[in-house]
Amino acid sequence: MLKPVLIAGAAALALSATGAAFAQDPVALVIAQGGLGDQSYNDLAHQGFMAATEETGVEGRVLESRDVVAQGEQILRRAAESDFGLVVDLEYAHGEVMEAVAPDYPDTEFVVLNQVREGDNITSVLFSEHEGSYLAGALAAMVTTNTDIPGINEDANIGVIGGTRSVGIDKFLVGFVQGAREINPDVQVQVAYANTFGDPATGQQMAEAMFENGADIVYQVAGGTGLGVIQAAEAAGHYAIGVDTDQDGLAPGHVLTSMIKRVDVAVADVVEAYAGGSLEGGQVRNYSLADNGVGLSEMIHTRDLLPADYLARIDELRDGIIAGDIVVVNVIEDGYPDFFQ
Amino acid sequence: MSDAVPRALEDGLRLAMPFVAALLVGSILLAITGRDPFSTYAELFNEALGGQSRIAATLTAATPLIFTGLATAIAFRAGVFNVGVEGSFYLGGLAAAWVGFAWIGLGGTLQMLAALGFGALVGGLWMLLPGWLRARMDVDEVVTTLMLNFIAIGIALWLVNGPLLAAGSANSATPMVLAEARLPRLIPPSTLNAGFLIGLAALVVYGVWLRLRVGGFENRLVGLNPRFARSVGISVSSVILLAIVLSGVIGGLGGATHALGVVGRFSEGFSPGYGFTGIAVALLGRNRPVGILIGALIFGALTSAGTTVQLFADIPLDLVQVLEGTVMMLAVVEAVRWARRRRAVRAVAP
Repeated sequence: MLKPVLIAGAAALALSATGAAFAQDPVALVIAQGGLGDQSYNDLAHQGFMAATEETGVEGRVLESRDVVAQGEQILRRAAESDFGLVVDLEYAHGEVMEAVAPDYPDTEFVVLNQVREGDNITSVLFSEHEGSYLAGALAAMVTTNTDIPGINEDANIGVIGGTRSVGIDKFLVGFVQGAREINPDVQVQVAYANTFGDPATGQQMAEAMFENGADIVYQVAGGTGLGVIQAAEAAGHYAIGVDTDQDGLAPGHVLTSMIKRVDVAVADVVEAYAGGSLEGGQVRNYSLADNGVGLSEMIHTRDLLPADYLARIDELRDGIIAGDIVVVNVIEDGYPDFFQ
Repeated sequence: MSDAVPRALEDGLRLAMPFVAALLVGSILLAITGRDPFSTYAELFNEALGGQSRIAATLTAATPLIFTGLATAIAFRAGVFNVGVEGSFYLGGLAAAWVGFAWIGLGGTLQMLAALGFGALVGGLWMLLPGWLRARMDVDEVVTTLMLNFIAIGIALWLVNGPLLAAGSANSATPMVLAEARLPRLIPPSTLNAGFLIGLAALVVYGVWLRLRVGGFENRLVGLNPRFARSVGISVSSVILLAIVLSGVIGGLGGATHALGVVGRFSEGFSPGYGFTGIAVALLGRNRPVGILIGALIFGALTSAGTTVQLFADIPLDLVQVLEGTVMMLAVVEAVRWARRRRAVRAVAP
């Protein structure tokens, strides 16, 4: 049975302090498509993994494969048969395979990200991307009509580009639109899907089209494709909003903010929990605004462009979500709202 | 007959040379980065062939390359430089996955066979256009088949992002195929499946076909000297068309076995470039069945061992990629020789 657990940062720290008391089998991290060096999801998870293995003294191994989709079952079985105690798999396509393989190896804990998989020794890690995206949408809706800010026109018109048309991506998009509408119910949000996460040229073209249609801020939820969105924003003198990692520095001054998913924190937490002997399978660990698992970047390049009350309003909304006064639609659990069909 | 042994020896050397060279390049790299080449290679070797489950993993990884290598070789034999097997593999895989998850009620083995057949059919149909263009209009197939790869991948990704996307999935993937449509596993729990046997059978059929006058011999003759072939009454254009389409059929069948045997569906990242590795396999294997098998096994071993060895040793994936890259580069030397001969032959052909 799956039961959600809330994670507190302090708990993770406390666990790591006791980690040395347990004798532990080695742990493995399986890198997803895109590989190390993606300056995004994989690199961030890798950082968290390395930091946690170093801190806890558990032996850690990192696996990369050019053929990671097909090698999935082989990797999971090989690791489990070789007495690895924990396998953290970043590859989304390994979800079903993990569900099939895990029961054969009850002594190994498996961790899957961004999806929920059933199994007594499977830990599922989710992020409340809708909450972070809500704040990004709210900020975009405030900025998009303020012509005092360079590169902003008077139209209440913003855009969002998803990598693929699926609920996993729409979770970001719906949160973004809801946040924008909270600020300005009449805001126009252009929505498009690139159908690929790996093509910056496509992202660039789509963003250019949105800018020509009156948008001045475009949120990218499209991995490598999104790098083209950021390039287009820089070239056109407008703004992009980054995703997953702090992408503000990719085009300083032209990335309004980034919606950060702390994959590093999540991976470090599970490794530390494992090292401390407290990782129990069959659970969903959710990382939300309240745990700092998601949130907006520090905006070091754009903060000075924004009126102070915008940031105050964002903090207010953030507190409202954490307090439960504002409920952000999570399309995976709640289905699609009327304003986004 | 008398020169059969030296020829086999020469073939063997040609096949071994690129790998020996790659190992040398790799060991220089290892030595520079302060690793012991011998122990590194020993670990790789052990991970590739040390025990039944590791051998099974290597055979699994070699299976798609048997198909793409064979598909490429069939075309090469007829003098057609088909570099579009990747596209057939993609579309064949998607087609088979679709039958596998959508044709509910067909039942068991029949559904599996239908999925395999449909994958092969789609792979073959995909090559009809470049085949026709080459056979009838003499349009260079290198350009058309290469370009068609991008179109095939685009179509597949579009379908898997729209009509065929699994409900609830956050990345581009079809639903899983039904359990009955999956290819049976040979040594559970290893992933080795009936796809490997289908690949072997295809190689055997190819070997027999090569010895048939109608078919293999004509195919070869057209590849060696189209003008002579035409003068002895062989329909060069239909031999060429058949070779390209057959090449697509085998490529599509390879994609189908990959979808039904290993991945269990079609998803983004379905092929890391099996079609292109297949070109190297065909070139190194000199288009011969045994050569293709050996070439596929070596690349398969590098893939499977190169991945899981990282669990035990500090061997970066980069090393495996350097080894693969070096082998492929040397295979291109063979391709250049081949292309020169082809140009010379086509120059004299009317």
